[in-house]
Amino acid sequence: MASRYLWRRVGQAVTTILMIVLVNFLLFRAMPGSPDRILARNPNVSPAAIEQTRARWGIDKPLVPDQLVAYLAATIQGDLGLSFASRGEPVTEVIAGRLGPTLLLFGLGEVIAIFVGLGLGAYAGWRRGGPVDLVGNGVSLVLYSMPYFLLGMILLLIFASTLHWFPSFGMTTPGKTYDSVFEYLADLGAHLVLPVATVALGLIGQYSILMRSSILETLGDDYITTARAKGIRSGRILRSHAVPNALLPAVSLIAINLGYVVAGAITVEVVFNWPGLGTLTVEALAARDYPVLQGVFLVLSISVVLANLLADMIYGRLDPRVRA
Amino acid sequence: MTAPAVALLTAPRPVDHLARRVLRRPDGGAGVVILTFFTVLALVPDLLVGPLQTAVTATGGRLEAPSTTHLLGTDEIGRDMLNLTVHGTRISMVIGLLATVITIILGGVIGVVGGFVGGRTDGVLMRITDFFLVLPTFVLALILAPIIADVIGSGSVFFGVRTTLFVIVIVVGITSWASTARIIRAQTLSLKERPFVDRARVIGAGRRHIMARHILPNVVNLIVANAVLVFAGAVLTETTLSFVGLGDPFQPSWGQILNAAEEVGAPSLGAWWYFVPAGACIVLVVFAFTLVGTALDDLLNPRRRARR
Repeated sequence: MASRYLWRRVGQAVTTILMIVLVNFLLFRAMPGSPDRILARNPNVSPAAIEQTRARWGIDKPLVPDQLVAYLAATIQGDLGLSFASRGEPVTEVIAGRLGPTLLLFGLGEVIAIFVGLGLGAYAGWRRGGPVDLVGNGVSLVLYSMPYFLLGMILLLIFASTLHWFPSFGMTTPGKTYDSVFEYLADLGAHLVLPVATVALGLIGQYSILMRSSILETLGDDYITTARAKGIRSGRILRSHAVPNALLPAVSLIAINLGYVVAGAITVEVVFNWPGLGTLTVEALAARDYPVLQGVFLVLSISVVLANLLADMIYGRLDPRVRA
Repeated sequence: MTAPAVALLTAPRPVDHLARRVLRRPDGGAGVVILTFFTVLALVPDLLVGPLQTAVTATGGRLEAPSTTHLLGTDEIGRDMLNLTVHGTRISMVIGLLATVITIILGGVIGVVGGFVGGRTDGVLMRITDFFLVLPTFVLALILAPIIADVIGSGSVFFGVRTTLFVIVIVVGITSWASTARIIRAQTLSLKERPFVDRARVIGAGRRHIMARHILPNVVNLIVANAVLVFAGAVLTETTLSFVGLGDPFQPSWGQILNAAEEVGAPSLGAWWYFVPAGACIVLVVFAFTLVGTALDDLLNPRRRARR
């Protein structure tokens, strides 16, 4: 039974990815400006030359199936076209070069946020109305209402330009030479603090609200009352009865919200000049570098779909009711 | 579920009644007060701070700190920040409102039709909905924006808002209707099993008539509650889209002000007055909408109500 549930989810994920590729294909055809349309504006270019260009780029063939098949084949082989802005470099290479810094920044921020946010939310829900709940809930709601980049700008203002505790931009100090690996890591670490703090704080607001309401839902359930009636200590009920059950909806909500986190990701990188996918996206947007934009869209949406699939698999393992 | 639903149906004016109950709650009341304040700012900015300042009519020097003449300082071309921030209210709120209307219409129609018609139509509609739910819609918005800008062109003015801003309105609408559709569909599924729908069908009402006259009035409350939350999301999305450079420099929405602050390097220069006021407005508005939305949700969602 377990495997059937799993296979259905994998099938859905594959369908979603195919739809994403299809949307990408159609969007590219809707984009303003194509080689032949640019040539056609020039009256001195002969129809034969235009025809030749159309054949050169494969746009003389019908949209479906020829162009679509060619596009699918290229995409599967990792060929996402050439960047307009980066001197015709392949999009795949442009994106690959920016993937590392983004994964570092968001991996760290996400891990910190999951532990702190879920812990805070669980405790706040458990001690509902207590000081941690009141302060934590207020702070979480404000963080939740705040765009990530605004939080970043405020942290930058306080800790970089007023207190001078941390560097204000980039991943490392420009032009600096390092004597040892540790010196490099220290420099990288100092640059990481503010962006990671921004991402983590933004997510903590979201996660603690989710976890708090999830805990509140479980507290009304019968097995909690049963546990209390059996005389189990309060801390143990929280850890072994309430939290494991409250984690389930929280996990799936975290996965669903990943798509929104991506938006925050892009803007935080801009504030701190972090050389990742976010700054790449905004650069590509300013230069109207469509191939890179579409490549980023493809990479990010497939990652979100896969993360959702992963969350469902974890969910399936944690909650036997889902498998039935 | 049945008891409150009957109460809603028999109450003389359910929406009126609901509004009073929201106002009586501390969170709902506070939210409504904040929103009223910003609505006033949005309606009569000229009366409060004079006409929108431009590079030509700027009244101060470059990046002046707050003083008695410029309560919130000035920007890099000497415009008064209080003036810009108050005028930004109208632009941010109008974009938010229009985007919410598009979102609600799309989500409402897809939800009601999917839930009521069912079968294959529902299957297809919900597949599309789930697709949009999973997608990082913000990145899709970034790709869509230049295409839509190309389609509607730029320059002309509509209701005091330049058409370039409609790019953001349409993009937000297209990318945020999915959760509304899900919520409305769920409610429609339960409504269509109710006796009054059967009665309508028995006396020969068509599908379209039942959807418009029997289902829709019963999901209006839910739509209102959802619209409040959608509005908060729309303001945030507008802010983010403007921040990455998709806004209109001639129409300083709050997001556009933050974008300008970032480009000038205001955080590094210590020019807090450039972005903190606009930022505070965004947080307050989103916070207020969230408060009202939660209050409505608590009042309308029977599952939550039972827990209290």
